[in-house]
Amino acid sequence: MIELSIDGKRVTAEEDATVLEAARAAGIGIPTLCYHPGLPPDGNCRLCLVEIERKGKRELVISCMYGARDGLVVHTRSSRIWKARSFVLKMLLERTPDDPLLKRMASHYGVAFEERFHVESDPCIKCGLCVRACEENGTEAIGFAKRGWEREVSAPFEEPPRDCTGCKACAVVCPTGCIDVEEEGDVRRIWGKDFRLVRCALCGERFATEEELAHMGLEGDEAKYCQRCRKMLFSARFLVGL
Amino acid sequence: MKSQATVRIGMASCGIASGAAPVYEELRSILAGESSVEVKRVGCVGLCFREPLVEVDMDGVRTIYGDVTPEFAAQIARSLLKGELPESHIVYSDKAEAPENAVLDGQMRVVLKNSGIIDPEDMGDYVARGGYKAAKRAISEMQPEKIIETIEESGLRGRGGGGFPTGRKWRACREAEGDIKYVIANGDEGDPGAFMDRSLMEGDPHSVVEGMIIGAYAVGAGRGFIYVRNEYPLAVKRLSKAIEDARRAGFLGRRIFGSGFSFDIEICRGGGAFVCGESSALMRSIEGLPGVPRVKYIHATEKGLWDSPTVLNNVETWANVPTIIEKGPEWFRSIGTEGSPGTKVFSLVGKVKKSGLIEVPMGMTLKSVIFSLGGGILKDRTFKAVQTGGPSGGCLPASLLDLPVDFDTLSSAGSMMGSGGMIVMDERTCMVDVARYFIDFLSDESCGKCVPCREGLRAIQKVLHDLTGGRGRKGDDELLKDMAERLAETALCGLGKTAANPVLSTLRYFPEEYAEHEDGYCRAGVCRGLFVASIDEGLCVGCGSCKALCPAGAISGRQKEVHRIKASACIGCGSCLDACPVGAISAARRDAP
Repeated sequence: MIELSIDGKRVTAEEDATVLEAARAAGIGIPTLCYHPGLPPDGNCRLCLVEIERKGKRELVISCMYGARDGLVVHTRSSRIWKARSFVLKMLLERTPDDPLLKRMASHYGVAFEERFHVESDPCIKCGLCVRACEENGTEAIGFAKRGWEREVSAPFEEPPRDCTGCKACAVVCPTGCIDVEEEGDVRRIWGKDFRLVRCALCGERFATEEELAHMGLEGDEAKYCQRCRKMLFSARFLVGL
Repeated sequence: MKSQATVRIGMASCGIASGAAPVYEELRSILAGESSVEVKRVGCVGLCFREPLVEVDMDGVRTIYGDVTPEFAAQIARSLLKGELPESHIVYSDKAEAPENAVLDGQMRVVLKNSGIIDPEDMGDYVARGGYKAAKRAISEMQPEKIIETIEESGLRGRGGGGFPTGRKWRACREAEGDIKYVIANGDEGDPGAFMDRSLMEGDPHSVVEGMIIGAYAVGAGRGFIYVRNEYPLAVKRLSKAIEDARRAGFLGRRIFGSGFSFDIEICRGGGAFVCGESSALMRSIEGLPGVPRVKYIHATEKGLWDSPTVLNNVETWANVPTIIEKGPEWFRSIGTEGSPGTKVFSLVGKVKKSGLIEVPMGMTLKSVIFSLGGGILKDRTFKAVQTGGPSGGCLPASLLDLPVDFDTLSSAGSMMGSGGMIVMDERTCMVDVARYFIDFLSDESCGKCVPCREGLRAIQKVLHDLTGGRGRKGDDELLKDMAERLAETALCGLGKTAANPVLSTLRYFPEEYAEHEDGYCRAGVCRGLFVASIDEGLCVGCGSCKALCPAGAISGRQKEVHRIKASACIGCGSCLDACPVGAISAARRDAP
């Protein structure tokens, strides 16, 4: 364990923790948009900026990727941090003015939409959580295309992605909810592709797509039941054994 | 007996573009079979403004001919056959007065010592001038530790722009844990108007290869990459040839110079994205991934290419290495300034009379570079600013002309060394428009990964377009300053962090132009519609050049009589300002309608 100081508070953290993890574990809030505890950090939204003390100077770093170190002194509140976050939020709001989450964060920082900088609306904030979720799942069906202002999340050649399993992890992690998922009967439509949903043989819940089960290598009984029922059946077997 | 002569034709991209190929053919065909004359294709000697260039080296005396046509080339060839030298077209001479003597003699060529002298495709030429001696000595006589010490003592700093101490970088990589290490040469020069790295790679590719061999041995790397943009086909070709020849000679490959050290180099061609010059993006590109930077809280010397310890240096940095090994760190320290030893190659372009490639000791003043070597401003107009460091650099005003050029002085003046581009601007340059140009460029080249660079540059761009388009608002200067400062603080990589510099430096040194643009006035007569042309009747010679060009028919006057402009008809396009041969037309404020 290591010990660092955040906003004057002594905080202990694991050796490999980031400043963000250390702060959140200690109940100190830092805003994020492109961060998800289950995915590798990317550091692109720049909202989690904090100041650290180094060589007698205060330096802005992003807390989601900066490693916590023993004796590190961190500040999460200062006018410099406030200004930096306000700038980032303002810039995001200009492009995505109607998103409730962004609007809430912006109003907290006193940032307002200004028609002058608005060029076009785009519900996606390019945080890439969806891309990373897809990578972590081992499917890599979607990725970033184009660059700069035109950067966008896309399936290869903007066609329905061949490798997509319809797991909708991308849509679940999306902070602005801009990935369309439609479910009707036993069909899920996502990324322009239809997937057949499998119903749990016990509770009847539509718990996965056929492609998802195949991608995970589940077959036979394992592929029949939803996670909850599978757990129950499995433990029941033990109970019976007793 | 006839004298021995070598004829060199500058055939880097610049030379070829201005017509050196037919000049070479002419000389070669006439002088073919002449044993006393050797005809060589060489790299760029730097006098770009007089190209095509032909140099005749007769008994050790150099004479350079400029603006050579194939016809004049034939004349040179025929004179040589008689053992004579033509008297005209001489731009440089070792023994006689010539117009461009000052340009070459005022330089100090360390990195470019072979450029324009040797045939870059002939390794024998490089070896004959002492090439690969340093690598051989380093590998067979020096311990890696000693080499790193030597580079540290020399004070060599990264020539790519950052100015990080090269020795310290090498040491960090050597000390980093890992069996697999890499060295990389960054030849992804992408600054508009910069061509130092291209000229070096085209003119003396072996010097880069040799530097990398020494560096690889010092840090313990087994593989190296030269990252060159594919828009530099000639550089790719010559580097490929150099690597192949070095391999054949045993300077690359297994057991170099018969030692236990093995090292090889591959060329990696970039697709031309500006951001790929940023180190982490460049490494991703070599790995085959999109050129998108990464957060670098762990240095590349620990976790670089494929997460292995990596030294990435600019090609010019590498090219300095063999000479430092050969002549020693004291010699290197004796050149330049204390904080920035050595020389720096600059590409001097823009509104300067003698644009070209120059190499000077660090610490030379901007004034000497622009006025002594560059010959001053085109059309003898007034100097307004010099932009150094490429798009991420800044614009320095006339009051800083006495600034000695080195890494630290340029940064503290709000610009940067960058890789060495210098764009000279005159009074007909609008500084707000210059900022707009660079922000347009950077916004186009932003990878789009982080919010401040992707969205912030776009917002800054919007304000600049408003200002140059006559839609500026009061307080836009303050707004720009604020946004640019925030951008610099919050962006992820070097591109984004420095992208604010064009705005911040022009705001710092030319605040009045921003204030004027807020009022809808462009004093330089560049921003369309933000001025009316006005003729100084005392200066007008009545030549009619302006009248002939005016697209709005706003100018009247008879030949040899003073011309007049009808302000209400003037659309503020600036054509007449450029056309007037005596500088009688200026940009005046447009009266409120």
